Amino acid sequence: MIRDSDIVFVDEPRLTAADRLYLPQVVMGLKTTFRHLFKKKVTLQYPEEKRPMRVENYRGVHRLNKDEKGRVACVACFMCETACPAHCIHIEGGEAPWPDREKYPIKFDIDELRCIYCGMCEEACPVDAIELTPEFSIVGLSREEMVFDKEKLLEMFDRTRELKPRKNPVITGYEYNTGGPIPPSDDQTEGLKAPGQPQR
Amino acid sequence: MPKIIIDGVEIQCRDKIPVLQAALEAGLNVPHYCYHPGLSIVASCRLCLMEMKMPDPKTKEMVWSPKLVPSCQTLVKEGMEVRFNSPAVIANRDKVMEYYLVNHPLDCPVCDQAGECYLQDYSFQFGKPYARTVDPKVKNPKKDIGSRTLLYQDRCVLCSRCVRFAQEVAGSGELCIVNRGDRAEIDVFPGMPLENKLQGNVVDLCPVGALLDKDFLFRQRVWFLNGTDSICRACSTGCAIRVDQNRNILYRLKPRYNPGVNEWWICDEGRFGWKFVHDERRITTPVVRRGAATETPPWDDLPVIIRQHLTAVVQKHGPASVAVQLSPEMACEEAWLLATFIRSIAPEASLALGDVQIVGQEEKFPFGATDGDVKFIIRPEKNPNRRGVEAVINGLGGNVISREDLAARAGKGEFKALWIAGGYPQPGWAGKPLIDAAGKVELLIVQDLFPGPLTEAARIVLPFCAWVEREGTFMNHAGKLQPFDRAIDPPEGAVRDGQYLYALAGHTGLYTGRRVREMMAKTMPEFGQLHVPPPVPEHQH
Ligand code: SF4
Ligand code: SF4
Ligand code: SF4
Ligand code: FES
Repeated sequence: MIRDSDIVFVDEPRLTAADRLYLPQVVMGLKTTFRHLFKKKVTLQYPEEKRPMRVENYRGVHRLNKDEKGRVACVACFMCETACPAHCIHIEGGEAPWPDREKYPIKFDIDELRCIYCGMCEEACPVDAIELTPEFSIVGLSREEMVFDKEKLLEMFDRTRELKPRKNPVITGYEYNTGGPIPPSDDQTEGLKAPGQPQR
Repeated sequence: MPKIIIDGVEIQCRDKIPVLQAALEAGLNVPHYCYHPGLSIVASCRLCLMEMKMPDPKTKEMVWSPKLVPSCQTLVKEGMEVRFNSPAVIANRDKVMEYYLVNHPLDCPVCDQAGECYLQDYSFQFGKPYARTVDPKVKNPKKDIGSRTLLYQDRCVLCSRCVRFAQEVAGSGELCIVNRGDRAEIDVFPGMPLENKLQGNVVDLCPVGALLDKDFLFRQRVWFLNGTDSICRACSTGCAIRVDQNRNILYRLKPRYNPGVNEWWICDEGRFGWKFVHDERRITTPVVRRGAATETPPWDDLPVIIRQHLTAVVQKHGPASVAVQLSPEMACEEAWLLATFIRSIAPEASLALGDVQIVGQEEKFPFGATDGDVKFIIRPEKNPNRRGVEAVINGLGGNVISREDLAARAGKGEFKALWIAGGYPQPGWAGKPLIDAAGKVELLIVQDLFPGPLTEAARIVLPFCAWVEREGTFMNHAGKLQPFDRAIDPPEGAVRDGQYLYALAGHTGLYTGRRVREMMAKTMPEFGQLHVPPPVPEHQH
């Protein structure tokens, strides 16, 4: 509740004769404009020019990391699904087909439209399998296209693994063949097509 | 009721129970693994140790005993004084917890027990956040010990609950501890897997994730599950269960403590017998046939349509030309609503109890137990509510016939309208006499789970919802009236039986079991008294 004692009444300052003349104020304003005209520019001509990005910290589209054999690193623990405030991760776990692993995700869907790019999933993951990449301009032509499934998320990894290598564990060489590393796209004028979709 | 003093506070407790049980019932969180009220006491986990006052051998004065004693193995005695908060007890707890974690893998992210694991909980509450062990942990691969159960030996805390259960309750004793010391492990005898009909219970008993259910394995993390109290429908014992679901998908059934009925256990038939709920073939919409044409009327129009059909038959052939076959799969409330509705249109309508499925023999556990020692019974009557529906039929009186009579008389053309309630999980439940008779009547109304010859012949088909989608009461073989709640929504398009029968009987608003029971209890007092199991102490497991 607001009490009367909390209220401070402020009177409008009285205008002087110079103020009322209006012109001096216009000159003052123009002075600021001209001062900035000769300063160093801070704006960019996006998308022709791009701002340097802190690749490490940028929170863009997710990727699902692979181990050196190309297998999904996720162990389907559902920690990211539990932590996600937007409820946009949907996982289906199953018994892993590999002898050295217990559980893996059969399905892994992230609704990139619903995601708020908070990075909670990345923090929750006990095996650093889910990470946010520096890719931010992706294009989809339908809502379904923007629900990234496991294949798309793994493809995101191949696309960004040179730009942002895995840190934990550090992987020195990949044994699987992706048909050559996909170069990170730097042409952001067109925007990236959502991976796995036909490019129009 | 003896009085004992725990941590300086006097409490009243039941007689002849262990101090641990008394402490748990008083609300204390005393860690324990091996103690379970339904099993013998072995005092092997050493987590529940306490200090107790005993007479000094020289001075005969009451002093704290120099040694810790297991609270699960010490019975309460009037005036005894014990404590759980002394430095010695806490030090013991710390050491024991550390010892349990020496070889326990850090598996929680992929372990199904995570979230309801007492090693997690106790580590969090009583353990340390670091480990001093530097040696590598012993790895022990998982073992397939039974058709429904997996053993992850390196997660086991060797509480021996599973071994005692197999011996004392199931009576088949398949499990044992082999080797000694730090090599001890749970195992089955070669060529003799865990194959008793109660094996699912060892998974519930296991306080950690060592024994896991193959059916539920990796299907869902437990913290996403919501539990609803229900009653098992697989036999007339009427075991209390909890239905665990998430977003309208059933994941598992767990037993609830229910003294005098199922105690702590349920059988595998009930535990895994719910798969029909998510069967694709289920009937989900009402169907009305006019000649060869079929239509699906909106639910709001159904009461009028059904009334018109029935009234037409009664006007043409008289009030005794209608018969109803009630199903032992129905809740008492639903049976009563249906019977009273039919009687309101055709006062002399005949009521019959539908097929009661008897399969095999009564199975008593432990194997070969004589009456006094029986701990669990699987009954041959595979429907939950024969007694309840019988009570409704007898309570209403009037024309009551047997189902054989119903089929025979309908076959001879004595009944012109027949309402058959099915709801059995087996699609082909109906016998030949009934199917033949059903073909002869003028108006056939069938409520069922799955399409079959009866629903093919019917003029009006109504979906019968699975019991986890309904609400009401089942009366078990001993006459205990036990309520069950709805856990999930019926499939798209369907409406709960209780709800449409309620509307049919001319009531408005929401159907609840309680409302209907109040109406029933006016003429049938046995429906006024519910059997609801007592709550389990918060920290007991
Ligand atoms: S970034 Fe945040 S909102 Fe997006 S998936 Fe991860 S946890 Fe959910
Ligand atoms: S938290 Fe990591 S390991 Fe767990 S399900 Fe998510 S991505 Fe997979
Ligand atoms: S498997 Fe589970 S119930 Fe059996 S001894 Fe080990 S921890 Fe106890
Ligand atoms: S020693 Fe008492 S519960 Fe295990």
